Amino acid sequence: MALHLNLLHEEIFEQRQRQRDPLKIGMMVLGGLGALMLLYYLWNAYKVLEIRSRLSQAEHDWSKVEPKVTGAHKRSAELNGIISTTKVLDGMIDGRFFWAPFLEKLSRCVALNAQLTSIDGTVLDDGKISIVIEGLAAGREPRAAAEELRQLLLEQLGQSYQEVKVEFKALEDLDTIVKIGGANQAMARFGINATFTTQVSKPSPTPGPRMKVRG
Amino acid sequence: MKQIKVNLSKNQIQKIMLSGMGFVVLVYVYFSFFLGPLNNSRDTMLGQITELQDKVSNSKSELTKTAKLEKQAETATNRFAALKALSPEGAPIAWFPPRMKAFFASQQIDKATARLENSSPYKETDLANWMRYSWVIELPQADFASLGTAIAALENAEPLLSITRFSVKALPDDPQFQQITMVASTAMVKR
Repeated sequence: MALHLNLLHEEIFEQRQRQRDPLKIGMMVLGGLGALMLLYYLWNAYKVLEIRSRLSQAEHDWSKVEPKVTGAHKRSAELNGIISTTKVLDGMIDGRFFWAPFLEKLSRCVALNAQLTSIDGTVLDDGKISIVIEGLAAGREPRAAAEELRQLLLEQLGQSYQEVKVEFKALEDLDTIVKIGGANQAMARFGINATFTTQVSKPSPTPGPRMKVRG
Repeated sequence: MKQIKVNLSKNQIQKIMLSGMGFVVLVYVYFSFFLGPLNNSRDTMLGQITELQDKVSNSKSELTKTAKLEKQAETATNRFAALKALSPEGAPIAWFPPRMKAFFASQQIDKATARLENSSPYKETDLANWMRYSWVIELPQADFASLGTAIAALENAEPLLSITRFSVKALPDDPQFQQITMVASTAMVKR
């Protein structure tokens, strides 16, 4: 076997040492890793750009629709306002007390031997109507004539209104004598209070049937 | 098992540590300053896209709802316009008393006067644009039959007018005629 002498072993050793330099290897690894990371970053950036274009498309679509939606919102609010206001106004209109039918009924109750001198009517806050009627009645029995008027009024008002109360506030004989149809008749002054409502009040709930309790 | 024994010099260990530190710095910088913000902006944009898409899809149903409401509210809109038209332009005190005078004159009741008692806003939020005016209407001389007819016509012609107090007094000198005082409240649009 031939003797092989390596006279350059020191140089070769140094070269190997240089090649095995950890810093160099590390830098190479870092470079490789950095390149991979850069590629991954670029891939992500490309995706983000794609998303950005989708976003701008969505913004464009929304900008087209937005004025319509804002207008629709405004109109919707306006319409809801109109509907609710009309409802409230209709409620007010329907809830009014109509005086003309009442006056008509009252005129039917006044006989020839009675005269009303004043009528005062008020619509109270709770929806009740309060009427104060003053007048004169004449007849052989003037009090009976006034009572007849009261009863007639009660009957007439009861046909159209609820919770009708017609009561005398005052009833007094007068010394004055009046001539009706050629006959002298006595007179009485009366005052009548009438109260009623136009709507039926809500009935109180009736208790349900008793349940059998099983022991 | 074969064990590989690596002998590293002090210089080599330092270099390895330096490389390790470089690696850590690289990873930190990469995630903190590059990939992190990029992912954040991507997530934000995706959120925005979802939000906008939801808005666009909701807007279609909103538009449909409004169109439906428009159809449903047609009657109410017409009625509202008619009620609003009962309040002409200008201060009510300028046009309401003449209107009442003309109305009762057309019913053969002369010398009707109307004066403003008070005015106040409504408490209801739905009537924020409306005012309640209270008027005292006086008819110094009217016969009962004409009065009844006139009141019926007034109540039909003025749906927003409500008579809250009504007083009839027989005239002592002329019992055929009566003196009438009414308090009527009206709802009018704020001008």
